[in-house]
Amino acid sequence: MQLTINGRTVEADAEPAMPLLWALRDVLGMTGTKYGCGVAACGACTVRVDGQPVRSCVTPVSAVAGRRIVTIEGLGTPAAPHRLQAAWIAEQVPQCGYCQSGMLMAAAALLERKPKPTDADIDEAITNLCRCGTYQRVRAAIKRAAGAKA
Amino acid sequence: MKRRTLLLAGSAAAGALVVGWVASPQRSRLGRGRLMKAGEGEVALNGWIKIAPDGAVVLAMPRSEMGQGVHTALAMLAAEELDVPLASVRIEQAGSDAIYGNVAYSVVNLPFHPMEVEREDGFGRVKASRWIVGKVAREIGINATGGSSSVADAWPVVRLAAATARASLVGAASLQWRLPVDELEVRRGVISHASGKSGGYAEMARYAAATPPGNVRLKERSAWTLIGRPAPRLDVPGKVDGSAVFGLDVRVQGMKFAAVRLCPMLGGSPGRVDASRALAMPGVDRIVMLPAYGGSTAGFAVIGRTTWHARRAAEAVDVEWQGRPAGALDSERIAQSLRQAVETQRGFTFHQSGDVEEVGGRAPRKVEAWYHAPYLAHAALEPMNCTARVADGRVELWVPTQAPQLCRAAAATVAGVELEDVDLHVTLLGGGFGRRLEVDYAAQAVRVAMDVPGTAVQLSWSREEDATHDFYRPMQVARLRGTLDAEGQVLSLRIDSAGDAISPRWFERVLPVGLRATLSGLQLTAPAVLPGVSSLSGPLDLPDKTAAEGLFNLPYGIPHQRMDHVATRSGVPVGFWRSVGHSHNAFFSESFIDELAGEAKVDPVEFRRRLLKNAPRYRAVLDLAAKQAGWGSALPAGLARGVALHESFGSIVAQVAEVALDRGQVRVHRVVCAIDCGTVVNPQIVAQQMEGAVVFALSAALHGRIDVRDGAVQQRNFPDQPLLSLRQTPRVETSIVPSERPPGGVGEPGVPPLAPAVANALYELTHQRVRHLPLIPATDA
Repeated sequence: MQLTINGRTVEADAEPAMPLLWALRDVLGMTGTKYGCGVAACGACTVRVDGQPVRSCVTPVSAVAGRRIVTIEGLGTPAAPHRLQAAWIAEQVPQCGYCQSGMLMAAAALLERKPKPTDADIDEAITNLCRCGTYQRVRAAIKRAAGAKA
Repeated sequence: MKRRTLLLAGSAAAGALVVGWVASPQRSRLGRGRLMKAGEGEVALNGWIKIAPDGAVVLAMPRSEMGQGVHTALAMLAAEELDVPLASVRIEQAGSDAIYGNVAYSVVNLPFHPMEVEREDGFGRVKASRWIVGKVAREIGINATGGSSSVADAWPVVRLAAATARASLVGAASLQWRLPVDELEVRRGVISHASGKSGGYAEMARYAAATPPGNVRLKERSAWTLIGRPAPRLDVPGKVDGSAVFGLDVRVQGMKFAAVRLCPMLGGSPGRVDASRALAMPGVDRIVMLPAYGGSTAGFAVIGRTTWHARRAAEAVDVEWQGRPAGALDSERIAQSLRQAVETQRGFTFHQSGDVEEVGGRAPRKVEAWYHAPYLAHAALEPMNCTARVADGRVELWVPTQAPQLCRAAAATVAGVELEDVDLHVTLLGGGFGRRLEVDYAAQAVRVAMDVPGTAVQLSWSREEDATHDFYRPMQVARLRGTLDAEGQVLSLRIDSAGDAISPRWFERVLPVGLRATLSGLQLTAPAVLPGVSSLSGPLDLPDKTAAEGLFNLPYGIPHQRMDHVATRSGVPVGFWRSVGHSHNAFFSESFIDELAGEAKVDPVEFRRRLLKNAPRYRAVLDLAAKQAGWGSALPAGLARGVALHESFGSIVAQVAEVALDRGQVRVHRVVCAIDCGTVVNPQIVAQQMEGAVVFALSAALHGRIDVRDGAVQQRNFPDQPLLSLRQTPRVETSIVPSERPPGGVGEPGVPPLAPAVANALYELTHQRVRHLPLIPATDA
């Protein structure tokens, strides 16, 4: 199965029904995208497909073949971090960090759709779960990245 | 190690150990440089500090990073004393020597009343007991990350190790340059002299290894440049670009993946198993039966090419489950039996002052209330997992754990090898909260890997397995009775509670046999050696402090008090859940204090202040929270404030919650936290932990419950056990009380006051008291 991930086309040895999450993690070794619940409830597995935030644990690879997949590994580079990653560091968001890849991918999709999100926009878009309770800083970092004062 | 264990096991142990103690206790934990693996060009100066060829300081890290910021906090201690920038400190997993054991973890668990601790000036009962327990803990050296104790434990030893290393480095420069030590200074890891001579740590390291440190002095508080100031966490960059390696992210050449399926009925086991359909599926290797390791439930694992293949196959195994031999568990029935235990059993008296019986008989005003807290799951976002490889009599483990030594011991037992034959790598933890003090998943991984020798296997649990096979926070029931005089002064407080003992169950399932015997001996001899200490937590079913903490040690100056706890054994696996006994007991006690305030018709903050005349530290924390929250000022209609104050793990936290009801749903808008956690290492991390604790505790207060029916846990995934979402998160503000005391805990103390603060605000709104968790407001409000 051919997949386009972070701008590169890769061959993944995956059956069509395999969720994208496991193709990324266990077939391609891209472990930045996390498993949390397997039922699209927690958002730890969020990636972007053609720009949209998608929960990869319930998305079969057959549904994303030929589409543009972006994972946390493709959000920025060490030399040129995404403005959300810079904001995440400035606001010191992560604690355990396990949910943060999904948070960032959901936030990236939000900012593209709404460059200046309101609190209500953030409430609606960020439905990812964080067990450590970093939400307050997630909100502040999104606003910082959007250029608003947190 | 073995000799020491024997010495201890020879009973009369604690007494024997006291004799012959000469060196400073902290110095005994410095260790020799050979305890650290020397990489290319690296020089180890003691068991904690190495100097790398690039001049970086490498710190031996015995504690697990699970979000609490411990890797950064300990690195700050080393950087401070070595005069290097924080970014120049790298961390490396510590070995298994006893110097890395967490001594504070044992000491913080001593069952003392806080007012007794506050009062003691000289070398009395409290200090004597702490000294002896500290000494024994140093001998045994259990390396665990828990009890909010990491910074308290590292505070003396890591600073001393770094200061000692610095002294040797500067001493080496002095000898090399033939210049007096006093004339040398260190800035950013470079030693220099006014004459212009200078050299980096890397240059001096090999001479330093042979240079005695001389008289080592820790920096004066006034000279600190790092401690007490916010600093960015070392682990954050890797957590925003996906490169951080959690347990599930371990990748080993040629590895396989295993899925676990345990008997849905707690304590049950698989009966007839037909795996033929599962094994015929593509990408599936084999099935491995799993006994009930580490107090867990029995089941099986399926090995496959990916986690997905393995999980699909595990679901396809046809199995007849057998229930628990002693009968199916049921949480409703357990709740009734706990209430009955309170009414009919005496339990153990953890605290007594005055005469509650006598006062209770004659007091003009009485308040009585029953409180209840349910079982709760940890729900770390990264489910339980461990990667293992077994080959040629050796075991290699990669495991997100709070207790590496215990996992190592469990692995050795399962594989039938010596402890020395187990290599263990601690990964980052995707949440811990006490769940990862257990060893069940590590034992399972080793058992599975044994069936495919030479191949690494990553064993992982689904969310459903994680939710239904946790070691839960125990259910607790308490009856609280207070009396007041005609003027509204509180005369007496009597608390009777019941719930499962926590510590003995944990000790018995995780400790290797030898250590269990040692600790049992210690637990038996403790009361003889430590005057008045009859409830030292251990493997034996003696009074368990962890179940009663937060009820027997209230700071309030109530003349007549008695606190009894009945330790039960329900059969539901129970464990340490962030802030342990405090988490539910503070809900009971701090809600009830508000009930007494209501009876006295006194404002809840003022009521507490009056009872805290002799507890100035507590009162200062309460006052700070009240001030920051604007206590007493007007709020918009529909909002109400509630307050709670609680000490746990050496730190005092007060919280004021602003609460509204939104179509019958509790909505918390703002929580103001004040904390006295002694000396603060990184205030930024303290604020993070307060914010996180509020969200964690609010999830539990509003939604958290685990129900057991017909032996099986009913809540299986986040949809039926919701966590607080971003939308529901209150604004959290943190203020810190300045202090020069040694550091207390930070990871847990923010949890206990939250539920009672919200419950107390709810009462203000509805005038109906909610005494059950989770908080379901009365419907007619």
